[in-house]
Amino acid sequence: MENFIFDLLKRSGADGWAVRDEIRTGWEFYFIRHALDQNRVRETEHITLTIYKAFEENGKKFLGSASAEIAPTATEAEAEGLIRSLLFEAGLIRNPYYALNQPRGDAAPMPDAPDVAAIAGDFLRAMKSVDEDAGAFVNSYEIFTDSVCCRLVTSTGIDVTDVYPSSMTEVVVNARDDKREIELYRMYNSGSCDAAGLKANVEETMRFGRDKLRAGKTPALGKCDVVFSTDDALQLYDYFIDRMNAGMVYQGISDCEIGKAVAEDKGGDKLTVRAAKTLENSSHNGAFDSEGAPVRDMTIISGGVAENFYGRRMFSQYIGLEDSFSPGNFVVEGGDKTAAELRTGKFLEVVEFSDFQVDPASGDIAGEIRLGYLHDGDAVMVVEGGSVSGTMRELGGALRFSKEQKQYNNYLIPAVTRLCGASITGAEG
Amino acid sequence: MKAPFSPYLDAIAPGMKTLVAALKGKYDYVSVLCTDSVGFAASISQRAKAVNHSTMMTERGNVIRVCRDGLYSEYAFNRFDPAAPEKTAAEAEQALEAQFALLKETASDVYRTAALPDEPCVLHEEMETGTLPEETDLAALVEKLSAMSARGVAASEFALDCRLSAQSTHVCKMFLTPNRDMRQSYVYSEGVILPIVAKDGRVEYGYEGVSGREGPEIFDRLSDKVETIMKSAEELLSADRIEPGEYEVIVSPEVSGLIAHEAFGHGVEMDMFVKNRALGADYIGKRVGSDLVTMHEGASPEIQVASYAFDDEGTPAHDTVEIQNGILKTGVCDALSALRLGVEPTGNGKRENFEHKVYTRMTNTVFESGDSTLEEMIATVKYGYLLKGMQSGMEDPKHWGIQCILDRGYEIRDGKLTGKVVSPIVMTGYVPELLGSISMLSRDHCLYGNGGCGKGHKEWVKVSDGGPYMKAKARLG
Repeated sequence: MENFIFDLLKRSGADGWAVRDEIRTGWEFYFIRHALDQNRVRETEHITLTIYKAFEENGKKFLGSASAEIAPTATEAEAEGLIRSLLFEAGLIRNPYYALNQPRGDAAPMPDAPDVAAIAGDFLRAMKSVDEDAGAFVNSYEIFTDSVCCRLVTSTGIDVTDVYPSSMTEVVVNARDDKREIELYRMYNSGSCDAAGLKANVEETMRFGRDKLRAGKTPALGKCDVVFSTDDALQLYDYFIDRMNAGMVYQGISDCEIGKAVAEDKGGDKLTVRAAKTLENSSHNGAFDSEGAPVRDMTIISGGVAENFYGRRMFSQYIGLEDSFSPGNFVVEGGDKTAAELRTGKFLEVVEFSDFQVDPASGDIAGEIRLGYLHDGDAVMVVEGGSVSGTMRELGGALRFSKEQKQYNNYLIPAVTRLCGASITGAEG
Repeated sequence: MKAPFSPYLDAIAPGMKTLVAALKGKYDYVSVLCTDSVGFAASISQRAKAVNHSTMMTERGNVIRVCRDGLYSEYAFNRFDPAAPEKTAAEAEQALEAQFALLKETASDVYRTAALPDEPCVLHEEMETGTLPEETDLAALVEKLSAMSARGVAASEFALDCRLSAQSTHVCKMFLTPNRDMRQSYVYSEGVILPIVAKDGRVEYGYEGVSGREGPEIFDRLSDKVETIMKSAEELLSADRIEPGEYEVIVSPEVSGLIAHEAFGHGVEMDMFVKNRALGADYIGKRVGSDLVTMHEGASPEIQVASYAFDDEGTPAHDTVEIQNGILKTGVCDALSALRLGVEPTGNGKRENFEHKVYTRMTNTVFESGDSTLEEMIATVKYGYLLKGMQSGMEDPKHWGIQCILDRGYEIRDGKLTGKVVSPIVMTGYVPELLGSISMLSRDHCLYGNGGCGKGHKEWVKVSDGGPYMKAKARLG
């Protein structure tokens, strides 16, 4: 990044500014079966400027902001013109005044830049090591590995840099028999490569695929407990986590209050959620959030009761939080029962939805079932089709969590979650 | 007025041509796509306001595509000195060589493909627009949106807020090969009203949008919709849950669009044929819908947010008839997949931005209209729902399952709307059964281009989709 940007910002007359400079090297590999379809390299720099303008109207104080990306090849004249425009635009934005982040926390030691070639090599070898056969195999996969160096400099004196790896793998698994061929889709995010975890998860997905070949249609079950044991459970926990976000609270979308229960007591387990500064191999282990606030461990919900809101600076200030931040990682504590104990009685365990969703505002739950296991005592039926629906407003207080936990990139959550009393639309009848 | 082509891209074009020439001696195929797209996004509500210059398509950067010995490789970058193109050529070559070394070390096989053809083509197209985003009076726009937001909140006793968002992008792209020089410039815009209402702890959203390959003047059309959408959002506060089951349904044009997009659009993206991921490959020439079903896909037949002159591989825009009178005729295809399948590309090779790979993607996907009125259609329903408002959908090309999450259903009994509203609606089913059940179509059709379309759970691009009101049978939950 050119130094003239800082000089121009200091001379601009802005009441505050921030520069985010993100340099990425990315390696990508695309495979059809195990034959390389395409390889790609990305070498980019993205510089984002944010300008703040304080002003008063009718006795009210405001702090407006405007932001834009500036090309790393921009000339000084281009930068000057852009900064002038942003300053004008910031003056149009009548957000109530708030104080910008000040430097806080010690600068973390700068780690070495991740070795994208080494990480990519680990992914390539991990995918080749997956056990396949004619009945279940990898259809295609895409590997993305990035080395990220992100620096944030602000007018208040913040100058912090995070260096970290960020990876993503998309895997499509097929299974087939004499009658049909099916596919299952998985997307894995992480810091670097967890080769053993990736291999195990892809092979588990193949087992699901073999089961889908013998799936019958989901019956119309009416009300039924649904068990989640894949990353779809994140949607259930995100409902509660999102509602503790200062932005949701300030805008009235969340009615959570500190010291009060986050869900009506319906006999379920009591939820405890923590923000975690780091989680092993998470791609969100930065020491600072995107506005330069230091990230730390913090309890958000304890025993089903709201304890601390979190969020970006503007909304945090509006609801009276002085030193809040936007966490990168979340931990949901386990419950009293084991996964095996939660998998008892009659329940539908859905391991593949087309796109399971929980609306953070309304709490509405919706997802088409692509593969499920309908348990009734010792009887198990493999099913597909139909849908799960309901609302967290009514069902959120009846969730049950397993003791065991499982990590999905920047979330550590109970390995098994039981949603009691959801509505199941059958695939026929 | 014509949307003027980027002076920046014009300025770097000679250097980029030198870059292409430098690489041509080392590879069997070379192209470069250069982008310089600017715009703004304003978001105004009673509680928070923001303005920035990032939209889904704002970007400045370049991507080189090369092929050697049947392997296609790409190098994406956004630092370029037009006076030293050989330096960038060397950096690209060095970066790709490092990958080749790893591929050799890991004994990776290659899916070999012939070199893409490079027929000569010069095309410089600046498309019509009303105004330009970079010349927009943002002060006036912010005031206008603020006034609409205030009107929205005043219109409902249950209003928490009324968000207005407005985005406009001036897209400029340049595609160069040794024999091609293609440049295009156009403007698209989209605006949304998002009311938030609450009652007794229940929070619901509404949604109404405008979109088009037009300039920021399009946002004036939001004004007439504010009070209506606030009242519409209020309906959800007292909506019941639907009794799950199969119903006669009439879907609104935006839901028709969602069905077109999710049910069939993704299913005939032919890069999925190459991977054997789409059931559609086995159904070419076969019946997949009722006689009433004819569906178009392409960047040329409609003027909407995804209407361009050429795609990100330099293939001119097409109008592809995918389904004609219920028979699946063909899919849509990017250039590389077309080469692999032995078919012609259809101008559907799109990238999220210069940093992303090309996939086969939809542009404007639309069902043809019929000859009924909405009133005639409602009169034929014994017991069912008029379905409106799309929230989301998900494709399933391999199995032709469908998931559409919809805002609401208005109950119809004995040919009349009863006034009862149910929400939300999860519509699921098997695509040929759903399309096969279509029995009536309305005379008009509309297209909608707000938001974005992903492939799987990533690769977001602009698309539009739509159709007429359609009567069908569907499973609702």
